[in-house]
Amino acid sequence: MIIADTLLQGILMGLLFALVALGLTVIFGVMDIVNFAHGEFLMIGMYTVYWTSLLLGVDPLLVLPASAIVGVLLGLASYYWLIKYLLRGPAIAQLLGTFGLMLFLRYLVMFLFGIDYRIIQKGLLVGKSLAIGPFIFDWTKLAAAMLSLIAFAFVYYFLHKTKIGKGLRATAVNREAASYMGIRTDRMNALAWAIGGGTAGVAGGLLVNFYYAFPTVGLLFVMIAFACVALGGFGSIKGAFFAGLLVGVIEMLFPIFGSLIGSSFLGPHFKFTVVYLTYFIIVVFRPQGLFGWKH
Amino acid sequence: MKDAFDFSDFSRAERIGLLIFSLFLIIFPWIGASSFLKAVMIQFLLFSLFGMGWNSIGGYGGQVELGQAQYVGIGAYTVALMMVWWKVPFWLSMPLGVLIAVGYSCIIGYPLFRLRGHYFAIATICTSLVLKDIFENWKLVGAAKGVELPIHEHPDFLYMQFKSDTYYFIVALFYVALFYMNRFRRSKLGYQLRMIKDDEEAAESLGIDLRWCKIKAYATAAAFVAVGGGFMAVYNLYVDPASVMDLDLSIKIALMAMLGGTASLWGPVIGAGFLVPLDRFLGSWLGGHKGFIGLDFMIYSLLIMAVSAYQPRGIWGIVQQFFRGRT
Amino acid sequence: MPFLEVAHLRKDFGGLVANAGVSFAIEEGEIIGLIGPNGAGKTTLFNCIVGYHSPDAGRVIFKGKEITGFKPFRTNREGIGRTFQIMKATTGMTVLENVMVGAFSGVDDRHTAKAQASEILDFLGLGNVSDYHINELPIAMQRKVGLARALATRPQLIMLDEVASGLNHTETDEVIRLLRKLNTEKQITIFLIEHIMEMVMSVSQRVIVLDGGRKIAEGLPADIVKNEEVIKAYLGEKYARSH
Repeated sequence: MIIADTLLQGILMGLLFALVALGLTVIFGVMDIVNFAHGEFLMIGMYTVYWTSLLLGVDPLLVLPASAIVGVLLGLASYYWLIKYLLRGPAIAQLLGTFGLMLFLRYLVMFLFGIDYRIIQKGLLVGKSLAIGPFIFDWTKLAAAMLSLIAFAFVYYFLHKTKIGKGLRATAVNREAASYMGIRTDRMNALAWAIGGGTAGVAGGLLVNFYYAFPTVGLLFVMIAFACVALGGFGSIKGAFFAGLLVGVIEMLFPIFGSLIGSSFLGPHFKFTVVYLTYFIIVVFRPQGLFGWKH
Repeated sequence: MKDAFDFSDFSRAERIGLLIFSLFLIIFPWIGASSFLKAVMIQFLLFSLFGMGWNSIGGYGGQVELGQAQYVGIGAYTVALMMVWWKVPFWLSMPLGVLIAVGYSCIIGYPLFRLRGHYFAIATICTSLVLKDIFENWKLVGAAKGVELPIHEHPDFLYMQFKSDTYYFIVALFYVALFYMNRFRRSKLGYQLRMIKDDEEAAESLGIDLRWCKIKAYATAAAFVAVGGGFMAVYNLYVDPASVMDLDLSIKIALMAMLGGTASLWGPVIGAGFLVPLDRFLGSWLGGHKGFIGLDFMIYSLLIMAVSAYQPRGIWGIVQQFFRGRT
Repeated sequence: MPFLEVAHLRKDFGGLVANAGVSFAIEEGEIIGLIGPNGAGKTTLFNCIVGYHSPDAGRVIFKGKEITGFKPFRTNREGIGRTFQIMKATTGMTVLENVMVGAFSGVDDRHTAKAQASEILDFLGLGNVSDYHINELPIAMQRKVGLARALATRPQLIMLDEVASGLNHTETDEVIRLLRKLNTEKQITIFLIEHIMEMVMSVSQRVIVLDGGRKIAEGLPADIVKNEEVIKAYLGEKYARSH
């Protein structure tokens, strides 16, 4: 019973993780860059929804599009003002660069808003729960999971059914060939970053309803995203989805596992340690993840 | 062995610079600097030590490593715990810390070096976070509260706690590191690492065991950094996961070396010379102003983004370019 | 006991069979050429011997020791050196330093490595370019540097990957001369893949021919050029019959 409940809670969180992983994997698929600042996009999404809903006095779910817009703009700005230039250089410089971006955004927010922890206090769904049979779910988490799923499906549809989306996927598969076919790869790069920023922003906007926002929260989620992307296969969209679910479940299951086997050392405080170990183990022993390289 | 002291293949300007710098280091305590400046100086030397060590794997090894703090922690905790539990003198616990760091690095290095590039970097973050999590929750080593070192009334050579003479101690460590790296870059391993960086396939065809070489470089870095950690333990008289195992520490170490330039012996020192004072002065100038928290890192990160976009070879690369342009 | 023996070597790449059971033997001191049309499987065979690939079946035996599946650094330690057709532009290390890396495979001390490297560079007539970077040299010299580098590891068998490709007649003759010198003065066994017929026919003592992943002929150069199967492989059935 506990296990079933944990599994379901894990799936709910997992859908959110999947959305976070999606952005990371798309950027990687299109230009082989690992966006260390991805967590910061999420964090800024959190702050966006928090402040907009507070200042406008509107329900946080209604201002969700704001986090999407801010995320997209952030992604585009990052691309045109930094990433574009990094692409010319060696991989080490790219790593340094996105790392610098991560730090910059993180400490910019810290500078502007301080280190206080913030969470949505007022909203339609805040604090309420839904009972389905023997299970009780927080409405905020449920909504987050459903909206994440919708967002994920939206991006999936965009990438597979629209002309631009197909162009993006073509660029991911073979950049040179795509450019010969008239696809503007520079625009595709920017699009990838827009998607990355937008999805992370939305995920953050959903997260802040039940998780505290603070300047360094991005680190935790980017590490989770890395684990998902590694597990699902760098560049694989399907992989990001299933890996997200899996990581969500593992993360929820682990603390219970500890108490089930009667160990007090293995407990909830290690639940993210498990995520880090997962990344390590996957990447060393099965680098292609569950779904192989790109798509 | 003689190689360590042989700087003849550097340009005259570089050698003169080194000489002037060394003279400065030696007379520094007598120029009447404030205790704040002294602390900055010690930090600078410590981070130069960290950076040079990091450079073994980050620069010569060609793999960006972002988890060095775990070895700082191992060094620091070994010294601290040995002292607290069994009153072991520094000169015994320090080498033990290095040994443990080297051993640990070889063990995790073996799977770790199946990876490269970003995957490797992220994996190193993972391993250091895992170690930090373990230490934060392990009551035996003090969990999050850490370990306090007992103060000895008669500071002596055995326990290395003389606050005022700590300066020369770190200067000595700095030079040991400098000479070691000077020898390292021209050693067999140094050449092999350079070949691996240039052309891995060719390196293999010349009998080089890629993974083992990288592990050796990694162990070297771990050793250096553990020494620094041991120093931190006796200097701060306090170790806890947040101060010696934190990801921020790993990031600072890597960034200083990369900013200064990983392709040279001086790079990490220059990087530290730039960022440590920047960090400290900004920190004290902005003081306790709550509204300015984070500004220092913001400035670093802008610097880093600029450098990575325009001169990946770091500040030293910029300096070299400048001089090359003149000739 | 043959110096190098390849027995029933098989390697396929996801459905494409590159080597379908190749067998041959080389004696110590020989100069052997491996030829065949494009796609015959020469490079795969080469790579299976040096260890870049691991064969799916079959064995590679060197000096009586089983080296099947040994990775390149191990085959080098056993005594097999190799050159590359394309030298990566190593902008960091000079020619001398490159060759020193080869020398380091057998010594630990920098000065000894430097001395050995200089000796080899002189032997190959490259003494005056020690301090250049590889990418600053013309192709013919780059190839010689590659050879010097491999030689520094003191191999008993050297495998050459299209060492004459892109070279003109004079340069090719120079390569032939050097190979013969290596073979007689340093007793090094040579195994080369080559597309340039004049080169391989004039320097090899024996020639092995691959086509479609199989060995179709083996023998003296003079006999190989007249061999019907070989002609068929290169020029098609028509020419073989009319010959």
